Amino acid sequence: MSEFKLYILQIATAFFGAMGFSLLYNTRRTKMLISALGGALGWTVFTLVKLYAVDSELFCLFAAAMAVTVYAEIFARIKKTPTTTFLVVGIISMIPGSALYYTMSYAVGNDLDKFLDTGVYTLKSAMALAVGIIVVSTAVRMASAVVTHFYKKKKGTET
Amino acid sequence: MNSDELLKFSLDLGEQMLVSGAEISRVEDTLQRIAHVFGCKSADVFVITSVIFLTLTDSEDRSVTGTRRVSRYDTNLDKLHKYNDLSRYICANVPEIDEIRERFEEVKQEKGYSLPLQVFACAMISASFTLFFGGSAIDAAASAVAGAVLKLIVFAQSKTKVNMVFSNVISSAAVCLLAFSFVRLGFGEDSSKIIVGNIMLLIPGVALTNSIRDMISGDIISGMLRLFEALIIAFAIAAGYILVALMFGGVTL
Repeated sequence: MSEFKLYILQIATAFFGAMGFSLLYNTRRTKMLISALGGALGWTVFTLVKLYAVDSELFCLFAAAMAVTVYAEIFARIKKTPTTTFLVVGIISMIPGSALYYTMSYAVGNDLDKFLDTGVYTLKSAMALAVGIIVVSTAVRMASAVVTHFYKKKKGTET
Repeated sequence: MNSDELLKFSLDLGEQMLVSGAEISRVEDTLQRIAHVFGCKSADVFVITSVIFLTLTDSEDRSVTGTRRVSRYDTNLDKLHKYNDLSRYICANVPEIDEIRERFEEVKQEKGYSLPLQVFACAMISASFTLFFGGSAIDAAASAVAGAVLKLIVFAQSKTKVNMVFSNVISSAAVCLLAFSFVRLGFGEDSSKIIVGNIMLLIPGVALTNSIRDMISGDIISGMLRLFEALIIAFAIAAGYILVALMFGGVTL
């Protein structure tokens, strides 16, 4: 039960953290709410995948990044705004910020074993996120290229 | 519009988009589209995080080249949205240069949220992430105060144009000092949770992830620049932490 409470707390704080960042990055009104919800969605997917599917943090990050990117691409098209708006803020709670910090603090503190461990983990997480984003955004780009191609063809035959 | 005006405007727009937080590919794509709309035969654009190179070749094979150095960033997604709208508008309507300039300047002049609101946002972010990483309620309160102070420090530094590494050392040292003092005074239980919450404000995690995104999608140089910038900033933050932690006896070198 207390674990469940922790998950809810993390999702809620992911929401508020994302909202804070969207304020800081100057997102306005409904777009701010959408990006904050994206942050919450990302962490929800992360938690669900971790609990019920694959117990590997990297895979969870990958899946959550994919979910947030799909979400961001959809809302970017609805709101006619760059995808970055929702993407940057949406992935914030999954960013290996604290890991990057610990890596460097181990480096400064001469703890080389831990430095290597955390450093590799940080890079792996950043890669998992980046690959998750790239997979979806490439798929979207290909799909939209196909759609415009056929759309043009159709238009061409009509005129 | 003649090529010189087009070149100058394209560089201005590209610079502002980059400053506001656009991806490399978006800037390159936008500049290319605008050049073609205005009848250029080819437009060679090369953008990295700190420089834009642009060569426009018109229908009579005359070419003009320009570069623009970008040294300051100020992520503003609302402005980015408006520049994006502007470029769509330009491509759809091909308006006169005066009209484009006017609209462009209008967006450029826009101010972001006020400082108090930004301070509030920072307090909210650091409190949220302190809770997120397992801090208690009182840690979150301490973290919110530290986050607000941190924003004021960062703001003061942005006015004085201090060197990036140095300013991060100072900011992170200030945060750690606050966190350790709060815990000593009984306001907060776990200083590391308070620090981690605030570190989220400083750490270039987004830059790190974007750098790998850039590299995978082919913008290797931009990716490398961003990656190293992120690592150096992280290093500076850790150095600031260590400075303070040595004073409080948390670490020994």
